[in-house]
Amino acid sequence: MPATMLTAASPLNALLAAGSPGGFNAWAALGILLLMAVTFGVANLVMTHVLGPSRVGEVKGTTYESGMNPIGNARRRFNVRFFIVAMTFLLFDVEIVFLYPWAATFSQLGLDTGWHTIFLGRMVFFILTTIIAFMYAWRKGVFRYD
Amino acid sequence: METLLAKLGTLWPEIVLLMGAVSCLATGLNHSPFARRLTPAVAAASMLVAALLVLIIPDDTVHPLGLDGMGWFVKLAVLGVGLLLLALAAGVPDALMQQRRTDAAVTFDAGTSIKGEFYAFFLLSATGAMLTAGATDLVWLFLALELVSLPTYVMIATTRDTAIAQESAIKYFFLGAMSAAVFLYGFALIYGATGFTDFENIRAAVEADGVNPLLIVGVMMSVLGLCFKVAAVPMHVYAADVYQGAATPVTAFLAYVPKVAGFVALMLVLSLVGWPLPTPVLALLAVVAVLTMTLGNLLACVQGNLKRVLAYSSIAQSGYLMLGLIAGPALGADVEAVLTLFGGSRDVSQPIGNGLAAVLFYLPAYGLATIAGFGVLGVLWVDRGENPDPLDDEAQTFDSISGLWHRHPFLAGVLLVSMLSLVGIPPLAGFMGKVLLGSSIVSAPLQTLSYVLLIALVINSAISAAYYLRIIIVAFFGRDAEATHVRPTPLRFAAAAVAAVIAFALGGHLATPVAQSAHEATRHGVVKAPPSELPEPDTAVADAAP
Amino acid sequence: MPDNIAQLIIPLQLFLPVLFAFGLLLPIPALKRRRVAWGYSAVTSSLSFGMSLFVASQFDWSNPGLQLQAEFVWMPAMGLEFSYGLDGISIWLVLLTTFLMPVVVLGSLIEVDHDMRTFHFWLHILEAALIGTFIATDVMMFYACFEFTLIPLFFLIGLFGHANKLKAAMTFFYYTFTGSVLTMAGVIYVAWRYSQIHDGEWTFNIVKLYSVAEHLSFTEQCWIMGAMLAGFAVKTPMFPFHTWLPLAHTEAPTAGSVDLAGLVLKLGPYGLLRLAIPMAPDAAVAFAPYLGAFACVGIVYAALICWVQSDAKKLVAYSSVSHMGFCIIGLFAFDSENIGASGAMLYMLSHGLATGGLFLCIGMLYDRFETRDLRKLGGLATEMPLFSFFFVLFILASVGLPGLNGFVGEFLTMLGTFNSPDGVLGPAFAIVAATGVVLSAIYLLFLTGKLIWGQEKHPGYSRKYNIIAEHGVDPSHLHGLSRREIATLAPLAVMCVVLGVFPQLVLQSLEGDDGPVATLLGPAKALIEYDEDDDASQEDVIAERPSHQEGLGEGASSVDYGLDAEILELNAEHPLRPATPATSPDGVGSAHSVALTKAGGR
Repeated sequence: MPATMLTAASPLNALLAAGSPGGFNAWAALGILLLMAVTFGVANLVMTHVLGPSRVGEVKGTTYESGMNPIGNARRRFNVRFFIVAMTFLLFDVEIVFLYPWAATFSQLGLDTGWHTIFLGRMVFFILTTIIAFMYAWRKGVFRYD
Repeated sequence: METLLAKLGTLWPEIVLLMGAVSCLATGLNHSPFARRLTPAVAAASMLVAALLVLIIPDDTVHPLGLDGMGWFVKLAVLGVGLLLLALAAGVPDALMQQRRTDAAVTFDAGTSIKGEFYAFFLLSATGAMLTAGATDLVWLFLALELVSLPTYVMIATTRDTAIAQESAIKYFFLGAMSAAVFLYGFALIYGATGFTDFENIRAAVEADGVNPLLIVGVMMSVLGLCFKVAAVPMHVYAADVYQGAATPVTAFLAYVPKVAGFVALMLVLSLVGWPLPTPVLALLAVVAVLTMTLGNLLACVQGNLKRVLAYSSIAQSGYLMLGLIAGPALGADVEAVLTLFGGSRDVSQPIGNGLAAVLFYLPAYGLATIAGFGVLGVLWVDRGENPDPLDDEAQTFDSISGLWHRHPFLAGVLLVSMLSLVGIPPLAGFMGKVLLGSSIVSAPLQTLSYVLLIALVINSAISAAYYLRIIIVAFFGRDAEATHVRPTPLRFAAAAVAAVIAFALGGHLATPVAQSAHEATRHGVVKAPPSELPEPDTAVADAAP
Repeated sequence: MPDNIAQLIIPLQLFLPVLFAFGLLLPIPALKRRRVAWGYSAVTSSLSFGMSLFVASQFDWSNPGLQLQAEFVWMPAMGLEFSYGLDGISIWLVLLTTFLMPVVVLGSLIEVDHDMRTFHFWLHILEAALIGTFIATDVMMFYACFEFTLIPLFFLIGLFGHANKLKAAMTFFYYTFTGSVLTMAGVIYVAWRYSQIHDGEWTFNIVKLYSVAEHLSFTEQCWIMGAMLAGFAVKTPMFPFHTWLPLAHTEAPTAGSVDLAGLVLKLGPYGLLRLAIPMAPDAAVAFAPYLGAFACVGIVYAALICWVQSDAKKLVAYSSVSHMGFCIIGLFAFDSENIGASGAMLYMLSHGLATGGLFLCIGMLYDRFETRDLRKLGGLATEMPLFSFFFVLFILASVGLPGLNGFVGEFLTMLGTFNSPDGVLGPAFAIVAATGVVLSAIYLLFLTGKLIWGQEKHPGYSRKYNIIAEHGVDPSHLHGLSRREIATLAPLAVMCVVLGVFPQLVLQSLEGDDGPVATLLGPAKALIEYDEDDDASQEDVIAERPSHQEGLGEGASSVDYGLDAEILELNAEHPLRPATPATSPDGVGSAHSVALTKAGGR
């Protein structure tokens, strides 16, 4: 059991070890945190209720207080195709995000280390999977708009 | 970097399955009908190659938790039984297409066909189960578990065109997501308590610092979350609805693959704290085990739908399996070491008494019996009369298998073997499994709890006989159900029959090698037995020896 | 592994019926015809019986200890062996099994009107399971076969039974399965204790497990005894657990009833003697009075129920409950000469023959008239004289008429009970049991009076009988019985007389200081102090014997039972034990017992 592993323990673990084991001090921080969270939430609710102005009435209950009348049903259906387009966009857009750090690191790899091949292989594999996904989506008719 | 590459080297079977999944997508959506027809064969071939690779590649890696051969065993169990599941599931997409189209000769529509996806997802889920067995890190474990579950949601929703299938997919998805949140939280707490996510360092930290409360809470949350995967109380509520809603071959898949992954994950998580388990974890597991088997069996007795009966039976079987987890590798290497120190010696070459080996043995035994049962249901279809609902012709009710014996004696025989194995009647695999589980729990150093759990196992076996017997009675003694017919799916039929035959063999001469390798896989499991906690007769014997 | 070929005949005896059973499933069209299937089954079951006679000829009757035994490594990983052997008790039960099979096959021609092939398939499987139980010397194999007898009987009742067959099959399976899983728990516990004592080595060899008994505390033994009783008392069946039996008997086809009463019930007392008493001797002695009380209540209670039955088959079924009570009191009498237990074993055989005969007779009536109602039948002596002869013979054998087989067993069990030492059973039990004998005479003769004598009345011959029966037109041919039926009943009748006249045939293989019964009861009897004066009266009857202490020592060492000498070592702590100091042959045993005394506190 190397000592380095122990020192690498998390801050929480260190905190637990600091106080007497199982004693109040060890858990105090956690308790205070919880207390703060609860107090903040409850206080906000109470203060809004007490301080905020509250009126009731027919006009107050309408959708747009400014006077515009709503037209039609608010629950309109979107074409499911929008959803697929959004998904496809996300998929291929996020792929790009992975390329940036790779490109930035690749130029800094020493030429003599041999990491080039490995890194290139990885990216080729990554792009290959993207291409397969692209082909699959194509075949499934995702890009057909008719 | 090298370690990552070295790790990749042991993952070739999984990689092959992944490639197989991608190939299935390609062939399943191919323009050529021939290639499309080839898809299940591609899936089967990739599973065979993967199994071959598991057998060929020497697994000499030292498992950080002492479960050296566990990965090997579980991978083979997943692939072997998985092949039967594949044979059961082959043809599900085609049948679906036929149901959708009234006019037979229609052109292939890639947009609505699920031919590629179904087999791909099948392979992906199996890959997840195999990766679970190979996990050496909490993050890896989590990802592998999710890989098991995510494809199954789609498989449930797409393979049956009924509202109930959609409903069960959604139920499964949301409850699965919730359970993932629970055990992920547990993993996070384990990380918080030890500062590491990889098993080796967690183990080292636990050995150095001992078990702290945070770690115990983490392990308990993980156990609760994983209860979903194995369909154990309190996370069992989805099982009946989901099993009923999914297409029968998919149900068989759900009853086996996620359960294997779940139990393997439980084994790994519990190994982090080691056996004998800390009291809170022990109490949790014992309560979960007893509740699971009792509730599962009692609820199974009152079901009117066969798939629901088998669902509750699957819940109850999880309860039995939990006993093995509670017992742990009772006669593990470390106990041996401690005893040698005191002059005694332990023969640890026998798998009997090793709870983890019992779990590993019982999983395929249970799986085969369940697959045979679901296989028989999958082979049958019911003609619903003048108002046919073409989308739901599954044999699900007791009436639909009534008098099966008179018309299809062979199917009835398969069903008989399956049910008797699940009850635990002697020459079958289920009996051997229960003997292993029972003897492991009785030899665990838990004093009274051992006996309570053994009695619970025994009494529940008796309760379970009621509903398994009801199925046999209906199938053999009932009036012939004239609306029930047999599907022209010889492969599915063969899968059920082969499963029944192996269930027979696993109770006979196959039992020794399987149990022995299960034992070899787990005998060095994490056991920490300080001399004071040893069962007293042992030390007494050691003292008395001159 | 077996040393010579002679040892291989026992597994052959076991696998022969299995082979014959699967022979029936061969895709041969001729086998679908009922007569062919029936004939095949009659021939094969007779072959099995011939095989068992050959086994008996190989058996060394002069020394009826465990013999012809062999062990095949079956699952070394789990300590399981395929090990078998025969002693003076089990050889007789195997003979009874194979003897009854051709008889019931002969008797089943008319009753089974569909699917003859399936019927005989399950019948052969049942035979194999029963033989397996009797020859097993590995507790797992014993249990596996014991449990597996459920399946064939379940199907025999469920597929071929009468009106209420489903309920009967379900009740039968459920009752006996529940009991026997508890037995399983007890067996696992004993095996685990063995592994604790022997450094983690697991075994399920029955003889090896006997050695655990002395390491078990009294409480442990009580639990083990309770677990074993759960399985074996239900099977026997003992008084409060008997309710499944009348239903199963009434609904079962004749062959099922005969096998159930003649063979399956015998598994209960056999299991008690083979497993429960040697593995938990303290508890056996302590439980004996209570078990005896239940058995006595059962004897009288079931006899009273018999009195008011109007269904002939139900009457005989309840009489089985009453009669098996004698087996229990005999088994737990623990008298110094083992008369009770030997008598119980003999009584098991007698009961199998006599009750089997009665069930067959009633089955023949049912074949003809499709009723068993005593109000609709009567005065059959005039129309069926030959039938009446056999019926009365079996009735008298059941009642216990001297000269017929029932008498000897009944008498010996009661004698054993009467001589039972204080604190175990005693004269009071014997007196209550004797009331049962009187009652059984009343109800059985009552049955005979209604059925055989009196005003002749019976419904017309059934259509099925006229169609299927071998002598079509004239049902009263051959004095009421066909040749087939005579061939069915005659062997049973002959055996009833033979065992009544020469009970020594069986008894000599059971009795004796080194006989199987003495060996199995040894550990339990070692706990009891026998009053030598009480035995004086018996010494006139039975040849003089050395005192029990020496006798046991000799017996254990000379019998090749492999019974450890340790087993005789006494736990000085136990209240029922005599205060003789424990002498251990090699010192190891004492170390163990010291260790366990220490551990007892935990």
